Amino acid sequence: MGRSFLSLIVVFIVAAGLLVFQATQGTASAVVPLNDLVATPKQDRLRIRVAGRVADGGIDYQIQPRIVLRFNVQDPGNPSGTVPVVYEGLKPDMFMGGRDVLIDGDFREGEIKASQLLTQCPSKYEPPSPEDLVKSKTPNEVDAHPSSAS
Amino acid sequence: MGEFGHFALACAWFLALFGFIGGAYAGLKQHDRLFLSVRNGTMLCALCLLLSTGALGYQFLTNDYTNQFVWQFSNASMQAVYKISAIWGGMDGSMLLWALILSGAGAAVAYSSASMPRSLMPWVLSILNSSTLFFTTVVLYLTNPFRYINAPFIPPDGNGLNPLLQNPYMAVHPPMLYLGFTTYAVPFSFCMGALLSNNLGNEWLRLTRRWALVAWSFLTFGIALGGHWAYLELGWGGFWAWDPVENSSFLPWITGSAFLHSIMVQERKNMLKFWNVWLIVLTYGLTVFGTFLTRSGIVQSVHAFASTDIGWVFLLYLSIMFLATAALTFLRRNELRSSKTIESLLSREAAFLVNNLLFLSICFAVLWGVMFPVLSEAITGKKQTIGIPFFNAVNVPLFLALIALMGLGPMIAWRKASTESLRRSFLAPFVGSFAIAMFLLWVGIEGFYPILSYSLCFFVTWTILAEIHRGMKVHKPAESAVGSLVSLLSRHRIRYGGYLIHFGVVVVTIGITASMAHKTEVEFTLGRGETHTQGRFNLTLNSLEGFDTQNYEALKAQVAVTSAKDKEALGSLEPEMRFYKKNKETTSEVAIRSSLREDLYLVLAGVDTSGERAALKLFINPLQVWLWFGILVMMLGSLVVVIPQKRGSKV
Repeated sequence: MGRSFLSLIVVFIVAAGLLVFQATQGTASAVVPLNDLVATPKQDRLRIRVAGRVADGGIDYQIQPRIVLRFNVQDPGNPSGTVPVVYEGLKPDMFMGGRDVLIDGDFREGEIKASQLLTQCPSKYEPPSPEDLVKSKTPNEVDAHPSSAS
Repeated sequence: MGEFGHFALACAWFLALFGFIGGAYAGLKQHDRLFLSVRNGTMLCALCLLLSTGALGYQFLTNDYTNQFVWQFSNASMQAVYKISAIWGGMDGSMLLWALILSGAGAAVAYSSASMPRSLMPWVLSILNSSTLFFTTVVLYLTNPFRYINAPFIPPDGNGLNPLLQNPYMAVHPPMLYLGFTTYAVPFSFCMGALLSNNLGNEWLRLTRRWALVAWSFLTFGIALGGHWAYLELGWGGFWAWDPVENSSFLPWITGSAFLHSIMVQERKNMLKFWNVWLIVLTYGLTVFGTFLTRSGIVQSVHAFASTDIGWVFLLYLSIMFLATAALTFLRRNELRSSKTIESLLSREAAFLVNNLLFLSICFAVLWGVMFPVLSEAITGKKQTIGIPFFNAVNVPLFLALIALMGLGPMIAWRKASTESLRRSFLAPFVGSFAIAMFLLWVGIEGFYPILSYSLCFFVTWTILAEIHRGMKVHKPAESAVGSLVSLLSRHRIRYGGYLIHFGVVVVTIGITASMAHKTEVEFTLGRGETHTQGRFNLTLNSLEGFDTQNYEALKAQVAVTSAKDKEALGSLEPEMRFYKKNKETTSEVAIRSSLREDLYLVLAGVDTSGERAALKLFINPLQVWLWFGILVMMLGSLVVVIPQKRGSKV
């Protein structure tokens, strides 16, 4: 196809590769499982991302003197271990106990100091199942179907 | 009605299968009657999917909770428009919508196919039907929206659509995006058809250029709608977070934009054929890959993914496509070879090539960013992630290089530009842009990238105006300026429509640069009657009141905006915090005051324990509306290009 063509492509591959490599090095953060933080709270870890579930208790949202949100996050598979999180910013939409969140920040002194906090949008592709519906009904309400045992 | 919908879906599946196999056979044997059957079958398939989707919509509108999907995403108190948009509020219905729009595109092609080359069209319809077949298979067997509810009784009310999704944008953004994604199947099918029928002159390009632009326009608008929605709804003052779901819609846009440019080189110079085949296959593949990414659960995102098993089906389809393309391009390698080469780096061919390489670099960077968690874990064993800082660090310089090229490319001669012509075209705008840069520095604008961005935008605008001026002089020197301009636009639609699109890109770039680089972000609390001053504005809290509606309880702050200088009343901002009773979710409703100069974006963060002081967060986003306005200019430009030209007009 011509030497110009090929040399341009090579130049681009090298330049783009360098750009991407350098940017990756400078901005990558480690994805740390929550259980690791629970297991070794004394070990500081900087620039990490953690996924977890907001614990039901212990949510504290202050707006004075600064807007600060404190809560505990837990691993859904291991609810006994929790890690405290402090986030200096607005409480995200749909934030509440039981919601899954993505946290970016530093883990220092046993606490995650979050620089970014994102709540997972719960409904788009993970709808509730009707089984939950059945379980949540009292026997009186289930009476609608005559063949159910009572 | 659910059974009917399911039956219609199954019919569509059989018709797509017929179209796929029949089309291939008709192409192989040049069997005219079979081709016409396939043509009818393709259109009938679209009708069946329309009926199927209609049935699902009917079930939503009549609150038919025997259907599990309807129960999961609807409730009786929702407005009708959101009941309809709930069709694509969950995975099953969204795949049905995809299949529907895809079949619709196929039907449109089939309808007009009788007058197109008979050696090519059977293959094109075959490939289009194969695509419809794939997606219909996914819907029918894996993500069926017509399942019966798995409970011993019919619930009296549904679960309801997430309140964040009960928004007019939900009605438009996904369908628009899907229109963009699926219509890329058309140029893809034309390309495959050309390879299969060995019909590799430039007819397939001519026939599909309009489709490629239509797909690109829908995709652009769909992505912009998503960004606008995020800006209005999510309260973080921005419109794009480089989230994997956002990126998966952006990737085909990037390669699609590259394709729009490189086909011009193929049309004019008969070059880059091999390149273009792979580019359109890559673009279509990325649309399928994006769907795979958002449903497979392999990457984490704020958009929750079902950790379903359907991912492997998509990977299989993509692999088959890749292998087929590789085999066909090898088979047809002689016909795909170019007759010419790039003679000089200072030529329009080279500029187009650099354009494509820049787009592909951006595509690689975004793909790298999306897949990095998966790759890093696979290679090093430790999972790492890269976010917004990475994407900005890489994409800003690459996009700015593209902007520069937007100014340079249209003015460089084909084959080899002489230094004289370069000087004539570029010296003045270059000096002007440099002067602008100095001026901006002098008035206090900071930052290397913002200044570079504004200067380049100035450069591009100058070159566009110069081109238009030159065209007007040559074309009809006697007419009025406006008449000359209109006539220019209508006779050379592709060129001047293209300039209009480029100008739209400039406006978008200025909007993005200003709203991101010069953004102000402050938090403060106000008691009733208190005022906070920020820049040109005074914000005074007039009232802070709670109220109740059927779906939610709310707290609303009424904030008056006045000019700091002369106390002139500028309007009022009323942000709210809402608590939805059914799902027990809280959302904040942002209040925005837009003007050409900036957006005031106010969020009510909360109240203190006494209930007397409101905590507010204010963003001032300069030139924000320029972004949305620029998108509209781009759409207008697309319209100019797409509308068919009168016969005999030059390009």
